[in-house]
Amino acid sequence: MMTTYDALGELRGDVKHAVIDLLYRLADDELVIGHRDSEWTGLAPILEEDVAFSSMAQDEMGHALTYYRLLHELGEADPDTLAFTRKPRQFRCCSFVSLPSTRDWALSLMRQFLYDAQESVRLAALTTSTVTPLAEVARKLRGEEKYHLMHGRTWVLRLGNSTDEAHEKMQAALNSAYPHALGMFEPTEANEVLAQSGVCPREEELCHQWESAVAPVLTDAGLAVPANARPIHGGRVGTQPAALAELLEGMQLVHSSDPSAQW
Amino acid sequence: MTDTSNPTDTQWPVFEVFHQQARGEPHVHVGSVHATDPEMALLMAKEQFARRQACVNLWVVPASAITATKYEDDDIFEHGTDKSYRESWGYKTPKTIHVTKKESQQ
Repeated sequence: MMTTYDALGELRGDVKHAVIDLLYRLADDELVIGHRDSEWTGLAPILEEDVAFSSMAQDEMGHALTYYRLLHELGEADPDTLAFTRKPRQFRCCSFVSLPSTRDWALSLMRQFLYDAQESVRLAALTTSTVTPLAEVARKLRGEEKYHLMHGRTWVLRLGNSTDEAHEKMQAALNSAYPHALGMFEPTEANEVLAQSGVCPREEELCHQWESAVAPVLTDAGLAVPANARPIHGGRVGTQPAALAELLEGMQLVHSSDPSAQW
Repeated sequence: MTDTSNPTDTQWPVFEVFHQQARGEPHVHVGSVHATDPEMALLMAKEQFARRQACVNLWVVPASAITATKYEDDDIFEHGTDKSYRESWGYKTPKTIHVTKKESQQ
């Protein structure tokens, strides 16, 4: 029988460090993809989708805040400090989420679908985590993520099976996104501890589940899953692309101009 | 549906959206969305009309499926003679069984 942690305060030593590592990955992914998705506000192809995509960006930001609060309970800095004062190398998000959208709607939709499928797999696993507060958060966030995945899936199926131009754009988006998407499952030093203590399954296992989840949808969309794609790693240990530095510069600009301002 | 007589109209078909606040309550018309198909219309309707208020169910209906009376014919609704005997004052006309149950418990 594995130890269950009913409160974060019960975590000690290796397991505590591993949970902190996991929470930084979860929180930073959500914050950065939320910011990227918000770049479409006012610019998305149709009004209804502008509202929907912006709303999902807000959801992701809300999820980031939820994870940052758990980190704060574990002795890390408060959420605003974590979001607005850390340097790129202190972030633990994967390169996938900071990849510039460059006004490429196909890429943004494809990323949203592949990313939300990952969240769906991971949150499902976390609902049975031995860390009870994390399991509770996972159960709470699953509803919003279920909608996100329905949204991404519906768009991918429509555009993949639409005109030649739409199909080509979606295939190009999939080809450039896939190696980054595989990087979502870059294992860290916490991988074994998290699995053995029942906090979160191994990244390899989650990746396998994710591949099984996205492949049928991509096939139904008439898209070819890139063969032998090599995962792009580094983000989970703080080796971040220049794109993240640029993103943070914009996101942190207002806060850094007067860190003591009260909002 | 899309107006094919106007080639510059690139808008998608209109779907009317009906929102249900709680089980047993009626679905209430709240507005419309443009969408390519019913499934997409539901996705759009969820974010346009269910993000600020409680919701348990949404309906979307192609606007083209609705047949309406003409406002110029609204005199058909007027009563030429006293029809007050048809009005339901004094009767309880609850919206739903759910509401009736609640009231009978009070």
